[in-house]
Amino acid sequence: MAEERRKPQDRVERAEQEDPPRGIKGFMQKVKQVTYGMAAHDMTRYALRTRASMEHLFILVTMGDMLGVPILPPYYSMRLLPYVVPQVATWKRRMLREKDVTDAMF
Amino acid sequence: MAQTTQSQTDVRSLVDAFREHPERRYVMFGGKGGLGKTTFSAATGYWLAQQGHKVLVFSVDPQASLSDIFKKDIFGKGPVNIMDNLWAQEIDADQHIKEYQDEIRHKILDMYGMDKVPDEIEDYIAAASAEPAMEESAIFDSVVDIVNQGDYDYYIYDLVPLGHALYYLSMAKVYDEWITRITKLREEMQEHQEMVARIRREKEVEEDHILEELRFIRDRINTASSILTDRKKTAFFFVIIPEEMILLDTAKAAKLFAAFNVPIGGYVVNRVIPEDLLGEDVPPYLKNRIEMQRKYLARIDQTFGDQILARVPEMERDVTGLEMIERVAGRMYGES
Repeated sequence: MAEERRKPQDRVERAEQEDPPRGIKGFMQKVKQVTYGMAAHDMTRYALRTRASMEHLFILVTMGDMLGVPILPPYYSMRLLPYVVPQVATWKRRMLREKDVTDAMF
Repeated sequence: MAQTTQSQTDVRSLVDAFREHPERRYVMFGGKGGLGKTTFSAATGYWLAQQGHKVLVFSVDPQASLSDIFKKDIFGKGPVNIMDNLWAQEIDADQHIKEYQDEIRHKILDMYGMDKVPDEIEDYIAAASAEPAMEESAIFDSVVDIVNQGDYDYYIYDLVPLGHALYYLSMAKVYDEWITRITKLREEMQEHQEMVARIRREKEVEEDHILEELRFIRDRINTASSILTDRKKTAFFFVIIPEEMILLDTAKAAKLFAAFNVPIGGYVVNRVIPEDLLGEDVPPYLKNRIEMQRKYLARIDQTFGDQILARVPEMERDVTGLEMIERVAGRMYGES
């Protein structure tokens, strides 16, 4: 009984020991992380920016009425309204700041 | 005598139309205003209820006449029991819109812990509700609610005049395309989000509630238009009367309905003046009308053939109250 109880504990300890590897193995992992970070940082930023633009485009096609762009089905777009409430102010500012609404899209 | 010959010429009857298609759930009588759509809806509800089916007759018309025909104020009161197995409901579209707006407001307040909906959002809610498409959508959305609950064997939908349903069907098409596009846009956004999460090695991506809503909306729209277009479950009966104008209009409407894939179950002729009146001493006025109707009835038989499911005579008094409804049902279904 006592042995059986110890077994899972051993596993946990082993896992903990494995985590920050030392020596060459650890060094290589650090290098990997640094390179990955250098290459990926820009990608992440770009992806987030694109997503933000799309978010604004999305609000335009669903809530365009707020800026005077007629949008077809008001009944169902109202269901989406609660989710865009925090973005409405920035979206309006951004859309109206641009010379042309389409400039703001991409 | 005249009656028996009439029922012999009706090869297929309304009774057959229901017996042949037990999978039918949605029944609609369509046609120009004032031809007896509500009367036939009520009578059909009565007959089906007597056959032991659980039936709901409902209407979305703000000037609905179900209250009148059943002699009971049911407007905006939910399903009201009329007799064994038969319920009637008149939807109050304005009330539905108000409740819907409140639901949206509450959601905003709950989500962000606000005390008051921001002015520009409130303005948008008010402006959106003033759009004419709002009412149409609200109506069909509440129909989806009723049908989704699935409490009844038959749903008899007392439509407002034809244009309304066609308008919604064309709107549903546009809606569907619109939703498909913005869903795609939303999914692309989600892909970007997932990419960021992968790069940052985050295990879970936050679920996109908007995407969920969009899928929900598409589902609602499809359910709403399928109620009108489902080949198995829907039967749409045209109500006609033996008069030239009506026949011309119905032919046009039938074409439009076919274009939108509404399955037409058949035609019911109303307001037929009983020919056996001719034997009695009748004034020329009535005689002329009977002659006129005979001419158009012949044309109806020629055009629609066995799609004519019943001929219902002109009643000598208004059809209101269960007693009269029972009489109409007897004439429509030939038994009661």
